[in-house]
Amino acid sequence: MNGIDEHAQIREQLPLFVAGALDAQTEAQIARHAASCPACAAELERWQLISGGLRRLPTPQPSQSLVARTRTAVAEQIAERAEQGQNRTVLILLVCFSWIVTIAGWPLFRFLTGGVLSFLDIRFHQAWLVFAIVSGLTWLASGSAAVLLSARRQQERRVAL
Amino acid sequence: MGIEAAVLQLRRGDLDALSTLIARYQNRVYRYLLRLVRQPAEAEDLFQQTWLRVAEKIRSYDPGRNFDAWLLTLARNLAFDHLRRIQPSSLDEPVDDNAPQETRLSRLAASDPGPHDQSLAREQARHLAAALETLPVIYREVLSLRFEEEMKIEEIADVLGTPLSTVKSRLRRGLEQLRQTIEASYGKAQ
Repeated sequence: MNGIDEHAQIREQLPLFVAGALDAQTEAQIARHAASCPACAAELERWQLISGGLRRLPTPQPSQSLVARTRTAVAEQIAERAEQGQNRTVLILLVCFSWIVTIAGWPLFRFLTGGVLSFLDIRFHQAWLVFAIVSGLTWLASGSAAVLLSARRQQERRVAL
Repeated sequence: MGIEAAVLQLRRGDLDALSTLIARYQNRVYRYLLRLVRQPAEAEDLFQQTWLRVAEKIRSYDPGRNFDAWLLTLARNLAFDHLRRIQPSSLDEPVDDNAPQETRLSRLAASDPGPHDQSLAREQARHLAAALETLPVIYREVLSLRFEEEMKIEEIADVLGTPLSTVKSRLRRGLEQLRQTIEASYGKAQ
């Protein structure tokens, strides 16, 4: 490597040198060269002025009102998500309850109205109507409970805000 | 409360943990967003969106990952989405050379209170801030992450989602362009 090439190569590396983006070996090479080359040392100083200036730029700060607004917005989002999770759980439980009542209701109803032998009787007679009414009422009660719970939570949230 | 503990508690919905994280990172996130979008009103909006996104995505955060990088990546994605919406070409092209030099960032630098004997340093900071604003966003962000956030090259690559070589290339070009702008506008005295 002749002298001119070395100067050019060193200067090309100076922006990354001041950015601390070079490996230790290259950094040491540049430092050695700058120590013995006034022209490259002056060039390095100019780059250091820029990098030092960037490090010392004033830090713009968010206003306290922005930070407070942000905290409130995030807290509301977290509360809303928690409420959605709870609502989902309640809804799943209600649906399970309704299905259990629907599925288990028929044999139970037959057992209560006709005893054990009624299971051997596959005729429906008029019992299906009672069964349908009970099942319908169960689903209606579950749906109403879900709507009432949702309305109550919404009211609680309005009061909290 | 440490950052890791705060992150774990936020995953459980603890609002105190959220306050801890916001207090710890508010200046860095806001500064980074302001460097990207340059307009304080837009930076404020994105600041709020960033923390909403943190609350939304915190469960998917990998504790093995650097939280600083993860947080700034969320902020960056929101800022770039915003920039694409308002000005699709602004991500790669330098800003208008005829734009006024007295920008919000330079006003921030100039408005920093200090004694009169530091006016020269403040003036230089103002020039530097003004020159920084004229760079394309891809250079502004690497310069901000390296010199203001003091992130390692590997961390910057993580935030940008680019190879190390790309980060170094942008750092070099950003610094060179910044120096050219300063010397063209204010002479070599800067």
